Amino acid sequence: MTFLNLALLGGLAAFAVPILIHLFHKSRFRVVKWGAMHLLEEVLRTNRRRVKIEQWILLALRAAIPAVLALCMARPIWTGVQQLLGTAKTSTLILLDDSYSMDASRAGTSNFSLARDEAARLLNELPRGSDAQVVLLGQGGATLLDQPTYDLARLTQAVGRVSASAGVARVPAAFDAAAGILGQMHEPSRQIILISDFQRVSFEATEDALLGQTIERLRHLPVAPQITFWDVGGEVRDNVAVESLDFSRLMIGVGQKIQIYATVRNFGEASYPDLRLYFKVDGKEKAVSQVKLGAGERTQVLFSHAFETAGSHVIEVFADADPLKADNSFLATIPVRDKLPVLLINGDPHPDPLKGETDFLEIALQPYGSGGRVELADLIKTTVLSPERLTAQAVAESAVVILANVRKLSDEQVRALEEFVRNGGGLLIFPGNRIDAGWYESALARDGAGLLPMSYGALAGDLKEGGPVTGVVSQRYENPALELFNDPRNGSLAGAQIRMWFRLQELGGAGTRELTTLARLESGDAFLVEKSFGEGRVIACALPCDADWSDLPTRPFYLPLMQRLSVYLASTVFPPRNLDVGKPIVALLNANDAGKSAGLTLPDGTSTELPVVKKGTRGVVEFTRTQQPGLYTLLPPGGSPLHYVVNASRRESDLAKLTATEIADLAKTHGAALVRSGDEFKQLDRSRRFGMEFWRPLLWAVLALLFAEMLLQQRFARAGGRI
Amino acid sequence: MAHVSDFLTPADLQKISSLQIVAKQVVEGFCSGMHRSPHKGFSVEFKQHRQYVPGDEIRHIDWRVFGRSDRFYIREYEEETNLRATLLLDLSGSMNYAGASGVTKYQYATRLAACLSYLMVSQQDSVGLVTFDTKIRKYIPPRSRVSHLRVLIDELQRSEPAGETELGDVFHDLVPKLHRRGLLIILSDCFGNVPTLLKALAHFRHAHHEILIFQIWDRDELEFPFKQWTQFESLEQPAHKHLLDPALLREAYLRNLEAFRNELVRGCRRHKIDLVPFTTDQPYADALSAYVSRRRVRG
Repeated sequence: MTFLNLALLGGLAAFAVPILIHLFHKSRFRVVKWGAMHLLEEVLRTNRRRVKIEQWILLALRAAIPAVLALCMARPIWTGVQQLLGTAKTSTLILLDDSYSMDASRAGTSNFSLARDEAARLLNELPRGSDAQVVLLGQGGATLLDQPTYDLARLTQAVGRVSASAGVARVPAAFDAAAGILGQMHEPSRQIILISDFQRVSFEATEDALLGQTIERLRHLPVAPQITFWDVGGEVRDNVAVESLDFSRLMIGVGQKIQIYATVRNFGEASYPDLRLYFKVDGKEKAVSQVKLGAGERTQVLFSHAFETAGSHVIEVFADADPLKADNSFLATIPVRDKLPVLLINGDPHPDPLKGETDFLEIALQPYGSGGRVELADLIKTTVLSPERLTAQAVAESAVVILANVRKLSDEQVRALEEFVRNGGGLLIFPGNRIDAGWYESALARDGAGLLPMSYGALAGDLKEGGPVTGVVSQRYENPALELFNDPRNGSLAGAQIRMWFRLQELGGAGTRELTTLARLESGDAFLVEKSFGEGRVIACALPCDADWSDLPTRPFYLPLMQRLSVYLASTVFPPRNLDVGKPIVALLNANDAGKSAGLTLPDGTSTELPVVKKGTRGVVEFTRTQQPGLYTLLPPGGSPLHYVVNASRRESDLAKLTATEIADLAKTHGAALVRSGDEFKQLDRSRRFGMEFWRPLLWAVLALLFAEMLLQQRFARAGGRI
Repeated sequence: MAHVSDFLTPADLQKISSLQIVAKQVVEGFCSGMHRSPHKGFSVEFKQHRQYVPGDEIRHIDWRVFGRSDRFYIREYEEETNLRATLLLDLSGSMNYAGASGVTKYQYATRLAACLSYLMVSQQDSVGLVTFDTKIRKYIPPRSRVSHLRVLIDELQRSEPAGETELGDVFHDLVPKLHRRGLLIILSDCFGNVPTLLKALAHFRHAHHEILIFQIWDRDELEFPFKQWTQFESLEQPAHKHLLDPALLREAYLRNLEAFRNELVRGCRRHKIDLVPFTTDQPYADALSAYVSRRRVRG
């Protein structure tokens, strides 16, 4: 045991004070000439011994009170066996919160810079021979160095170079990673120190439950680590974020106008009477909007734009607000096509006009033929092939493939189509009088594992005059391909006369879970059914696309319906190019490009070369270190640039911290010590290494002694009554 | 010569004068007075008839009854007599204790005795005095003359308490001296062995004496209010000294005191003895008045 205020230990002599008082009182007695001595002597005879013992007990208690108080003021430290470990090496794992909320600053100092400095100081002061590692919370539990290191100076320098990322703090993930990292560390004493701003969103109920499970696992490690929560920095509330950009996800063509809704939210308590929002396209400012945004308010601003050139374009909405910039701008990349190649496979060609299976469809998709570029007509470029000429090459060059009354295909053709759809392509299937329904079920549906969403069952209806007729149910359509018809001005699917149709039958197997019925017939049968297949989509129709079984092609909605279906199927951008921080950038290139390299320009302007690796039939480029939000531009070998945007997750935008009580409760719940400053950590560390200060229990002991003295005095006086 | 007014203020005397003691039990006496004699005799107040037996005086035969019943009946009358009281004053050292009131128990007892003497003599009752410690120091037989009051008061003023006492032994010695039964008024703190004392009191009762004990207490003895370290020195045996922290023993002392008092009260009740406690801070005249009133009701 050692003492922080050794001088005050002299106060121990105060134990003599009650004894002196006792002796003083005993010597300064009064004399009473007493008559009822026979009553007193009988009491003395039976109680003398007891009274003496009680006097000694009380005297001991009274002497102990000042002595314990003096001991308490001397701030003793209980060392016990820990003295031996005082300079022992420690395996230290720092979980450093580098999420972008940590970049919020007060008085010019960000919480992250405070956290970083404290972490560096902590590493500096570790006993010699200790090993350490730093895990970055905002980077999904990535470590600062590849391995835990004994070279603390190197680790300290590395910590000094870290800046706040744009990632989200995943605390349970970091602790999960910590379990593995601790296994690589070697010292018998281990500690995990979480340095964070304890942002409320990072410790919501589900996160907290996960954290609890993870920490429980840590406690069952062969060497359980000591856990410390270090609450660093103060709360900064002012933050404005562009939360999202909403626009039609359908493929757009050159000259087509796109409407972009930017949602802006003020998380703070300051009001912005004239917040400026800048709309940029490909880095060039196109529009500025000024909005009023009160404390805690959210608003939406509309921007519209028509792209003049085809290719990959980047739009950005930037709010000129608070200094926490990571969420002040939101980027999106939009692919713009000047041609949408659609491959029509005509299963029932005919030399006469409008008699062939795809004649109506071709006109509907390309109504202006090779005329001028007007609206959507510019976009789709059809190619009609007979089923025999359907090749993998032809498929790969298309965005959408439409099978129209095709009897059957070869296995190779089916494989090509599957590969095409799996990689994001679109397939539209129309039946007809020539199809082999059995083949469709066995080769295309494959019990739900194939391309066909539902099998073509029995034919319904009758082509004879006066036979039963059905139509398309008019309803509210949720699918982007059909939502156009929610507005009556754009026409209605109802009114068509359908005399014969295939009953689409559900398949068994797991594939049925990915089905969506887009529209139904009045007979109750499905009209259009969609299925996700890999990254692409397949839509099956219950009717042929010609006028043999219905008057669909003669209806006004036929053209927009076919166009929307085709555009919708072609709108899958795979791999995705609008990413969150930390998500990998992937580009699928031609297999011929394998072995070559692609250039990638990062948001900070630096460039890197990425190899094209052959995976299956494609050449693949992949980049995983997307911690910086912003625009990444990939230049494939011999191709046009592809834009990828990485946005910081808006989960961190609400900078509200847990309250001090909540943080204390959190620490208590997870059995962690809580510190709020370097000094507090030093004290905690000292008590862990060198022992524990126990003045507080001593103070309680003083109070207990005082109470006991009072209680015993009363009790002894009462006990004297038992004669 | 001491005068009764040395002990009683005129107001006190006035208060006591208005009271009349009525003895509960009849005491033999020479004078007719307020007090009924237990001896059925031939005075003025008819009590009962009884059958004539040979030896009875013929003049006491009720001839009217003989005329009606043709049998001899003797008329019996109740005699009225004066009270024959003896004051027994304790001179033991313990009576010399004076607490916060400044009045020793002895002083209080002598004043009480003077009050009683004056009262009784003024009623033409006989009153005597016995002072004692370990043995009888002075015995003044009961007289009813007014001049006797002076003798009593002189003796009260002359005596001083000192030394030990043992009430039981003294009372046993006293019984033969009190030839005629009467009222014994004991003025004492009754400290000592209770069974012995009760045995002696029983001896008095056997001799048909009525006993009234005025037990004199100081409030300190009842409450034991001492706080600081105190050396208690015995008033009866100066060699007995005890240095102690009285706060630790207070409860025990009070329990012991209660047991002592209960034993005495139970014994007195058994022997039909009136035990009246007084504290020295109590106005003695008021206390005496209260007692006499109560005795009158019971009589």
